[in-house]
Amino acid sequence: MSDALLKVEGLDVLFTSYGQTRQVLRDISFTVGAGERVALIGETGSGKSVTAKAILGTLPRNATVSAGRIEVAGRNVLELPRGERDALKGSAFSLIMQDPLSSFNPVFKIGTHLDDVLRFADRREGVKSSRAERRARIAAVLRRVQLADPDRVMNAYPSELSGGMRQRVLIGLALLHQPKLLIADEPGTALDVTTQDEILNLINTLVAEEGMALLMITHNLGVVRKVADRVVVMRHGDIVEAGPCAKILASPEHEYTIGLLDAVPPLYGPRVQTQQISAQAPIVSATGLGKEFGRHGKRFTAVKDVSIALREGEIFGLAGESGSGKTTVARMMMGLSRPTSGSVSVDGTPNPGRPLAQIVYQNPGTSLNPKRTVKQSLGLPLKYAGLTGGARDARMAELMELVRLPVSYLAKYPHELSGGQKQRVAIARALAADPKVLILDEPTAALDVSVQKTVIELLLQLREELGLTYFMISHDLSLMRNFCSRLAIMLRGEIVEEGATPEIFADPKHPYTRALIAAIPVVTDDEERHKPAVSPEERAAFLVKTTD
Amino acid sequence: MAEVKMALDGANKDLSASYMMWYRFSRNPAAVIGTLIVLSAVIFAILAPYITPKPEDVGAVVNFRARHLPPDATHWFGTDKVGRDIFSRAVFGLRISLLLVIGVLGISVPIGTVLGLAAGYFGGWTERIITGLTNVMLAMPPLVMALAVSNLLQPTLMNAMIAITLLWWTWHARLIYAVSKSVASEDFIEAARIAGAGPMHILFREILPNCVSVISVKTTLDAAFVILFGATLSFLGFGVKPPTPDLGSMVADGRQFMPDFWWEVLCPGAVILYVTLGFNLLGDGLRDMFDMEG
Repeated sequence: MSDALLKVEGLDVLFTSYGQTRQVLRDISFTVGAGERVALIGETGSGKSVTAKAILGTLPRNATVSAGRIEVAGRNVLELPRGERDALKGSAFSLIMQDPLSSFNPVFKIGTHLDDVLRFADRREGVKSSRAERRARIAAVLRRVQLADPDRVMNAYPSELSGGMRQRVLIGLALLHQPKLLIADEPGTALDVTTQDEILNLINTLVAEEGMALLMITHNLGVVRKVADRVVVMRHGDIVEAGPCAKILASPEHEYTIGLLDAVPPLYGPRVQTQQISAQAPIVSATGLGKEFGRHGKRFTAVKDVSIALREGEIFGLAGESGSGKTTVARMMMGLSRPTSGSVSVDGTPNPGRPLAQIVYQNPGTSLNPKRTVKQSLGLPLKYAGLTGGARDARMAELMELVRLPVSYLAKYPHELSGGQKQRVAIARALAADPKVLILDEPTAALDVSVQKTVIELLLQLREELGLTYFMISHDLSLMRNFCSRLAIMLRGEIVEEGATPEIFADPKHPYTRALIAAIPVVTDDEERHKPAVSPEERAAFLVKTTD
Repeated sequence: MAEVKMALDGANKDLSASYMMWYRFSRNPAAVIGTLIVLSAVIFAILAPYITPKPEDVGAVVNFRARHLPPDATHWFGTDKVGRDIFSRAVFGLRISLLLVIGVLGISVPIGTVLGLAAGYFGGWTERIITGLTNVMLAMPPLVMALAVSNLLQPTLMNAMIAITLLWWTWHARLIYAVSKSVASEDFIEAARIAGAGPMHILFREILPNCVSVISVKTTLDAAFVILFGATLSFLGFGVKPPTPDLGSMVADGRQFMPDFWWEVLCPGAVILYVTLGFNLLGDGLRDMFDMEG
């Protein structure tokens, strides 16, 4: 394409660390035409962000571009002097940053932040502008990202805005100079699914209205379907497949893409957890649980009148967005936190003093002590279970086998393991004391989708082998559809809907459940068609406000 | 950046942690120089009686024929007002300084660490009492406090050590408190508690290993300060009793003969500079080695 806005050709990037040089990008070539929406998709370590950094000229110091060209509007930016390259930023392309909180300096008001950006850009171009005039331009841009009261936003500190609003401001920031190409690095990833959905809609609207081109960096195939015309699939620094979005998602050719698509839990179709647990006595039951936080009169009700009966052998899922109170409920049910009202009984005994369940945490990076080996981490619960010497070593080997890790990994430190391996160690540690119940606190949220699939499969197998009961907390409804046998949906501290998983997905009763399901980015048209209908009033009533 | 860092972390998985640390350390010239300086100071201090030209000058020796000699081939650092070899005395002074470092830090670092760990992990009243005590101690001017202690007791090395130790643990307590408090909120601490671990295990097996890098950097940098502080006390006459050589009192003795017999001040002063610089460089090098930020 000769009129390509962005043309990357044969790009090789090397990283040097600890005296070793590694190639992290190999022969990357793709183009983004005017008005075209292209997605770079890949998992951890695929090189998608390195590619974006190479385009933006923000590679870390130990990186070198060893071959290739990056043409923006017909000029090879790699050969441009620093100043000219900087001048391209903003006018030719600009970046929407990923993390809406850390992208702002917390001590400056939003208006000051935006004004600085504009002032420096004007100075660079030798344009004189007054503060009032810049303020008007900022207000106009904020209106374009659907923030209806720009004055209020400009006078607010970053912490006073919701995550969605901050993300909107970041998009506005990228629009300040009417760029021809927007580069978006995982926008909305840090936000709740309903908010993310709105942000993606906004990006789509803006790109269509302004005729901008979009380069979207993401790991989420559903996001790709929603915002891209073409997809470039990357793995380990190579492009494995590229083509029109519809074609790649419907009939991928490369086995990696096929595997990636297969790993995404579908929102519609046969892969739903249908197993039902017959009316057994509940292993843990909570009645009228409530929890308040805060003191000195300023009290905040996190959980209100929640009753749950966890039956032996089931996989119970508690779904909700951030701040819904789902983690607080799980902690109270497992005796890790004392309820303000209501009671928990275990096997018929009310309010047990000690935890009866083990937890698998969301982020294995923080749930394993970085200074202790796998052996030491596993050894701890075994020591308190009274195992020593040979018996303990045998049990450790058994646990490693259970989670499908080689016994030799016992000597490793967490940083020597991949995310999936770390999570397996965390699962092994949770299993060490032979618990009846495992709490799974978003056990795969920090993992790549292909790794998520293997961890979920492992959990299902372990449940078969050991007869475990799972209590899962998550915001990912499509994953829960494939994993949990029963679901409860939480909104602002209350359970709004509860039932067997297939029933909830077939006929969601509560409008919030419908809104949640509808917001999930999906991969196929089939899934899109089967999403429940949500009226604008329902959206407005239940979704966190991202505008003002 | 997170993504790039993650990609690199993944790529470095085959490298052992100790190799990465050694790599970072050995590529840092300041760290290597600091190590050499500290090592040389320690070797000199240990071997002082064997390598100094006139070890007998450490005592109450008087040789008026040789007084105030400028530095030359026999007296590298010249001689003092009673004709003693300044180089020999400086090396023995170094020995005293390093003993002071070992004594002070050997007591105050463990105390500060344990108090900091406990305050950070237990919270509540433990936290309030320990941080309160730390703040009170930190509010006292250290020199005044040390002078008071030395004055109450005898001005000996032991008392100087006690005086400095009484103050020094506070810095460690405060630092380790901050680290401990942040580590205590990590998931792996709760995981250990759920597994059944008691407070002793959590404090010393789970949290402490995560403080080791901070402690070793702080202790190394502290060594320099302790030497300076000890020298200051001796300079003011509250440190080591004459005729035992101490770098601070040597500077004080030479002061009255400035600028004519400059070496009597500058040479012991240069030794203080040499060893404190060494500890500072080493501390910076350790910080790089542990890859700490800031």
